[in-house]
Amino acid sequence: MFTAIAKGLGITFKHMLPGHSTTVQYPTVKLKMSARFRGLHRLVPTQDREKCVACYLCPTVCPAKCITVEAAENDKGEKYPRIYKIDLLRCIFCGYCVEACPVEALEMTDAYELANYRREDFEFTKERLLK
Amino acid sequence: MVNLTIDGKQITVSRTATIYEAALEAGINIPVLCYAKKLLPFGACRICLVQVEQMKGRLIPSCTTPVSEGMVVTTMSDEILKVRKTVLEFLLVNHVIECPVCDKGGECDLQELTYAHEVVTNRFQGEKFNLETDEVNPLIERNMNRCVLCGRCVRVCDEVVGYGSYSFINRGFETKIATAFDRGLNCEFCGQCVSMCPVGAILPRPFKFKARPWQLKEVDTVCGYCGNGCTVSLGVLDKKIETIRFNDKIGVNDGNLCIRGRFGYSYVNSEERLTTPLVRKNGQLVEASWDEALQVVADGFKQAQASLGILSGARLTNEELFLLKNLAKVAGTANLDHSGGECYKGVTEGLAGSLGIAASTGTFPQVEECEAILAIRSDFYETHPVFGMVVNQAVKRNEAQLWLVADKRGKFAKLPGAQNLLHRPGMELDVLNGLARVLLDEGLAQTEGVEGLAELKQALAEFGADQVATRTGVDAETLRVAARQLAAAKKSAILLAYGLPYTAYSRELGIAAANLAILVGIPGRAGSGLYLCGEKANSQGAIDLGIVPQTGGLGAQAMLDAAANGKLNALYVVGEDLLISYPDRGKVEKALEKVPFLVVQDIFLSSTAAKAHVVLPAASFAEKDGTFTNAERRIQRVRPGIPLPGQAKTDGTIIAALIEKLSGNLAFTGPAAIFAEIGRSVPAYATVSFNGIGPQGFVWGGEILTPSRRRLQPVGGAVPVEGTFQLLTGSALYHSGTVSTRAKGPQAVVAEAYVEFGREDAKALQLKDGDLVKVTGNGVELRLKAKVDNRLPKGVLFAPYHFAAAGINRLYKGEAAVSVTVSK
Repeated sequence: MFTAIAKGLGITFKHMLPGHSTTVQYPTVKLKMSARFRGLHRLVPTQDREKCVACYLCPTVCPAKCITVEAAENDKGEKYPRIYKIDLLRCIFCGYCVEACPVEALEMTDAYELANYRREDFEFTKERLLK
Repeated sequence: MVNLTIDGKQITVSRTATIYEAALEAGINIPVLCYAKKLLPFGACRICLVQVEQMKGRLIPSCTTPVSEGMVVTTMSDEILKVRKTVLEFLLVNHVIECPVCDKGGECDLQELTYAHEVVTNRFQGEKFNLETDEVNPLIERNMNRCVLCGRCVRVCDEVVGYGSYSFINRGFETKIATAFDRGLNCEFCGQCVSMCPVGAILPRPFKFKARPWQLKEVDTVCGYCGNGCTVSLGVLDKKIETIRFNDKIGVNDGNLCIRGRFGYSYVNSEERLTTPLVRKNGQLVEASWDEALQVVADGFKQAQASLGILSGARLTNEELFLLKNLAKVAGTANLDHSGGECYKGVTEGLAGSLGIAASTGTFPQVEECEAILAIRSDFYETHPVFGMVVNQAVKRNEAQLWLVADKRGKFAKLPGAQNLLHRPGMELDVLNGLARVLLDEGLAQTEGVEGLAELKQALAEFGADQVATRTGVDAETLRVAARQLAAAKKSAILLAYGLPYTAYSRELGIAAANLAILVGIPGRAGSGLYLCGEKANSQGAIDLGIVPQTGGLGAQAMLDAAANGKLNALYVVGEDLLISYPDRGKVEKALEKVPFLVVQDIFLSSTAAKAHVVLPAASFAEKDGTFTNAERRIQRVRPGIPLPGQAKTDGTIIAALIEKLSGNLAFTGPAAIFAEIGRSVPAYATVSFNGIGPQGFVWGGEILTPSRRRLQPVGGAVPVEGTFQLLTGSALYHSGTVSTRAKGPQAVVAEAYVEFGREDAKALQLKDGDLVKVTGNGVELRLKAKVDNRLPKGVLFAPYHFAAAGINRLYKGEAAVSVTVSK
């Protein structure tokens, strides 16, 4: 029995040694997020426009109804999102929009520091999402 | 009837059914792509393959194979599924996968089948086409890269519309659907092909990238244009009508629509809609509150008393018309009329005198089964295109013999076997009398129980076939043959449209048509009908409700005459632009100027409204709740799809508010209660309740309306119009009334007035399309753009009446045809 206790405490004490802690000194130290982390959205650009073709699948699938899309026709006769907006205050970061996108035009980045001061700042327009 | 077994289910169906239809009846769904209910079986896609016990060894296309006794059908097995999947793979070899940008995505038959059959990979590889899209026209976009060659557009254009824009060209992999010489679409733009296309190959351009099908709210209502009463399903997104959706489930039109119904909705969303009441102060129309405007109107009406004239449009609902009639009563005036002017007298006086009824005797679908059809005026297709499509099908599918009494070679004249009794302008009456005379002379007439035979015989003394032939230019022998065929047919139909541009001889034509119908035996006979079709959505409702001059009251023309002579104290115009649509603009102008108090209730600041003392903003058909009665007596529900713009109110609410101001009594109790109230004064409307009106509407008087009498009324002939050139006015296919000139769709195709010449005249006058010509007649000179076509015989010109700027009604004063001179 004592050996088992000693073994357990050994693990506990090992974590107290320097270099074994999982806690980091945020915000001076930041963790690298996993590749599948669901943070702020990003619209993928192509050379001259956004990749998005305004198919309306993301606002349709969105359970929080936080995506606004309005399609239009550009000079080349292509369909593009004249308006693309995500209301981050409503977003639940489920990632369904990314999953639904048929052209991989939307992805989720590792940005998680999304606090802000004004309500309007949480409205991510197409221009902001393309950055 | 035939008995067969489908998937172990015993069923009995009609002998003419196909396996697909039988299965559908049994509640078994077989997937299809090229099948459409209203088209003939074609068998292009091979998705609907089934196994038939008696035809072992191969799979049978269920949509083209008729049922037979004892058939044992299996609709689903591993083998069938494998074949269907393969068929889809074949289709997807060349079909471009651009669902994200294709407007059909979400309601695409191919997409749904591919999803249902889990076709995720393709064993075959082939070239995707990169054909150019057809965008030469403003309304219909064709992207042949998405085409699956089901042929539905080809067939609907040929079988139903009778235009034949499309055909398959090339062979094998290169096969595609093309227009003549692959030049792009240039047709009547009814958009039937758009509604039929199972994929995104043919799409409505005004709706391009506007919304996804699942975002749209669908509101089933009745089209607000002509008297055909087609069901339109408004596709509403965010309080705006974005498109008209295909709907063949309800209504009388089987999903068929014309350019006006399908593309003419945009006026409802127009920025120019009236949103506040306007009252004239110091000569200027200024915005006012409802209270103020209604008080001014009520005071004006009180002052005018019996010298108030009320002229209503025929696009108000039955409930609103009923309230209007009450308003007339409350205001103490007998001067009430609906906007048909005097042109519906053929129905209210002619038909009522002959048959004791003031409505068409049959219903539209019956015409499809008719053996002989007589269409008076080739313009019938122009005024009622969707009823025209029923005639097309009768002729093309059931080989009905079509006779035309027409002054032009219109679209009907091009139908197979159609015989055109082409007459000089304005002489329809003589031709009809001639036909009646032949029937009497040759003893073919049904005279049992018919009154007034002797008088008619006497009146027809001058109308022997040869005499009529010399007067009208119709071949005497053809006239005789027409009469004989009409008499021989067991099921026949006589069609006549009436409307504002067809004022001349309206009463006489109604009588002549009724005489002919009686002699042929049409009224009351199963499958036959005499159709007198009103121009506007609720013309029949206005007649049923008695929106006609009350005892001692003035009719529309008499009111205008009185106003022009300063004898009318006030005029209340509801939903009609008199200045543009009425014959004789000079007189209307004078009347509107002289009348001391003019109130106009409309959705736009029309030229009539601009002259008013008070303008009240009203609602379009898409914002109203109520009922319309179409030209075959079908009462159908009109439902509001979008909210009213600004402070505008429905006509019903406005009229009720006026009644309240005048009498102090509450008048508006909701459409259902008012409809019930209508039943109390119009017995035919008492047979159904507001909520009892089903998806197919309710035809008052039944499928065949039995006439209360058969009286032949003597009627004379028309006075021939002299002169080298004779100008006809009428309705153009792309427009209806004046409101369609504010809709983008019809305007995109026909944007301005024109005067149409036949090729012969154009050659003689050295005219080309688009040349400006001077047309002088009745002391008025008009400058119009020329349009050259092969519809018109020598010496006949045609100008549509819809356009404000052209001023056709300066020249046209209600004659059958105007003698004019033409110079460059």
